Amino acid sequence: MKMFQRAALLCASLTVLLAQNVIVVQNGLVHTAAGPPLNNATIVVRDGKIAAVGTGISIPAGAKIYDAGGRHIIPGMLDEHSHIGAKPSDLNDRPMVIGPQHRFIDALDLHDPDWAEAVKGGVTTVTTGPGSGENVSGQAIVIKTFGDNLARRIVTEKGGIKWAMGPKSNERYPATAMGVAANLRQYLIKTQEYMATWKKWDDGDKKGTPPARDLGYEAMADVLTRKQRVRAHVHSATDVMTLLRLKDEFGFDLILHHSTEAYKVAPEIAKRGVSAVVMPLGDRIGVTDEAMQGAAILWKAGVRIAMHTDHPVINEKWLRLCGGLAMRYGLPEEEALKAMTINPATMARVSDRVGSIEPGKDADFVVLNGPWYEPATRIDLVFGDGQPIYDRAKESK
Amino acid sequence: MRAAILLAFASLLPMAEAQSRAVAIRGGTVLPVSGPAIPNGTVVFENGKITAVGANVTIPAGAEIVDASGKYVMPGIVDAMTSLGFAATDLNEPGNAYTPELRAIEAFNPFGTFGAGKPGPIRMTESLSGGVTTMYIAPADASVIGGQGAVVKTAGENLGQITIREPASIDMAFGEPPKKAAASKQRDPGTRMAEVAILRQTLVKAQEYDRNHAQNPSAPRDLGMEALVKLLKRQIPARIQANKATDIRNALSVAQEFGFDLILDGGADAYEFRSMLADRKIPVVLGQISNPYVSNEEIPDRSDYPPPDETAAAKLKSAGVKTAIASFSRAFGTLAPAGESKWLLLDAAIAAGYGLTEAQVLESVTLVPAEILGVNQRVGSLDAGKDADVIILDGPPLSMKTWVQRVYVSGVLVHQR
Repeated sequence: MKMFQRAALLCASLTVLLAQNVIVVQNGLVHTAAGPPLNNATIVVRDGKIAAVGTGISIPAGAKIYDAGGRHIIPGMLDEHSHIGAKPSDLNDRPMVIGPQHRFIDALDLHDPDWAEAVKGGVTTVTTGPGSGENVSGQAIVIKTFGDNLARRIVTEKGGIKWAMGPKSNERYPATAMGVAANLRQYLIKTQEYMATWKKWDDGDKKGTPPARDLGYEAMADVLTRKQRVRAHVHSATDVMTLLRLKDEFGFDLILHHSTEAYKVAPEIAKRGVSAVVMPLGDRIGVTDEAMQGAAILWKAGVRIAMHTDHPVINEKWLRLCGGLAMRYGLPEEEALKAMTINPATMARVSDRVGSIEPGKDADFVVLNGPWYEPATRIDLVFGDGQPIYDRAKESK
Repeated sequence: MRAAILLAFASLLPMAEAQSRAVAIRGGTVLPVSGPAIPNGTVVFENGKITAVGANVTIPAGAEIVDASGKYVMPGIVDAMTSLGFAATDLNEPGNAYTPELRAIEAFNPFGTFGAGKPGPIRMTESLSGGVTTMYIAPADASVIGGQGAVVKTAGENLGQITIREPASIDMAFGEPPKKAAASKQRDPGTRMAEVAILRQTLVKAQEYDRNHAQNPSAPRDLGMEALVKLLKRQIPARIQANKATDIRNALSVAQEFGFDLILDGGADAYEFRSMLADRKIPVVLGQISNPYVSNEEIPDRSDYPPPDETAAAKLKSAGVKTAIASFSRAFGTLAPAGESKWLLLDAAIAAGYGLTEAQVLESVTLVPAEILGVNQRVGSLDAGKDADVIILDGPPLSMKTWVQRVYVSGVLVHQR
């Protein structure tokens, strides 16, 4: 009897769930990040995924309908370079110079109040990782900013391995740009040797004692096999060139981060198909107008670019202002939007799931009361996996 | 004879930079800040001073006519908190957290990478590109008493000419920054309690110093004490950076105990005290809205620096608190040749989405900071008699797409885009 009651309850709740599973947002000015803006468009969401987007779409019966009233809709934004979700004191293991074995997920705090702020800012996915206090500081993750279930929130644990160019201390090796380069090169060679040792063991009869495991080389091996990408904190053009040389030598996937002077060597970056996370520190730290134009210069050279907050350097929720500043300094509006949506999703290797409003993708999108780039524009509604995860109308004053 | 010598000397000095011809900016939307917008308005200035602002203004014969049709004309931005022009090593004395004898003006160097980098007139080009024409400069926040702040223009003939109020304040900071600096040097103050206790002891000494000097004018002088006596006699106010409620409460209590005029800086949690601030007429200079903290640290802990509440400005203003928004630009490692002061207007524009009107946003970065800095007789609005610090924008002032096209300081065109 009890069993039966439970089953009935389950059936009933399933029915409710199914009815709620179709959500329609209609009458929006939809910037899909996958084509030109769609006026008076409808987005149909089924089971948390986008089922259809466009004009003249018939509305499924029983769907919960939101009227956007002509407001702007953009994809949920993705910040490709954040440190959200960990205490600053957990970001760097400073005694270490090269520590690819460190995993950001081991410092992750899902109860950090910054997550809710990120959602309010329309940022629904982030690549968040270790800091820049080591030349290699560890493994980032790609994670949604909302939800209680860690397994569901993680988009991929392979969010890239953070490198940070430049000496981190004057009191130990390496203390020069040359030393940093040589040290990285030596570590990559040791990783190659480590991989060869293991390949020999794997290809052999596996008798006797297996080679010793080293978590650092194991992690860096993922870079050399391209299971992971290098996300390299870099400011000077000199260090950009060092990274490109290392890439040429070792053949890894590289994304430049901060990229302050990358614009000075834009063709070198473009011809290797390397992407760049740009606009160092947004309005937090004054950079010259010339450097601010770097985003547009790189884009014109054919480099895929993404914006970043470097949270907590800039608060996660102001990612869209970074995109606005890039636009102000010469990037076309639609490219600036892509630099906060589909481009970082592509860099983070999660563009099958997020980054644009297209059928089959997670229903993460943002309704705004004006153009996304204007400082005074407010975000009214944020949908995550098809559910309203922020509703300004329900916010207490 | 003496006049001739003076003249001879004068001719050795660089030519004083002065407006040589009347200028009339007409056809634009004039936003005087002190009054309502004037569509198709005219602003006239002569000899460095504004002579007329209005819809029907007589343009003097021979004036240079600047066509501003389709554009916006407003007063230069006043940034009420910066440490711009300071070398990173000049921001605070490392050995002592109580240094009222220091004067910001003696670290201020608006040249090199920061200014034009050439001999000749001062042009703080980055600040000017954002329309900032007046700013407050002070030591950074690693000391409890950093020193004496000053108010300067961002363009002019020389350092003497651009300084418009000095000393403008005793500049102080409470909370984490002085504590952390102290911890790294293993000296006082190691706690908030020590920050306040040592400050009170120092102010008590200043009271005694003042009493002693009143009785005995030939007593030995102490520059720090002299500066604090100015504070106690209310000749200048204190600027106290205090973001968390505890620090704000401490600032309010010390100001009351010693009877000095207080201006709160940063003020992340200040709205919690808004009725008291309104009653005691204590103004607040809020930090940038898009920035999570006001500090000199690269990656500060969130628990030390609460993110600003975007509605703070509206809450304070509606309670009647005089509220400005400032950039808190600091020299910052090697990445900050010029500071983020130039984006102050865009940052303040965020508040227009959180309860301020456009007019309130504009006054928060012009007239209100001028009043707080005590220089509103000279700058902060477009009114006849004030310095001709005028900016022309190519679009609505709060839009991301808008650029400052022209900047006049004391009637001289000092920046053009």
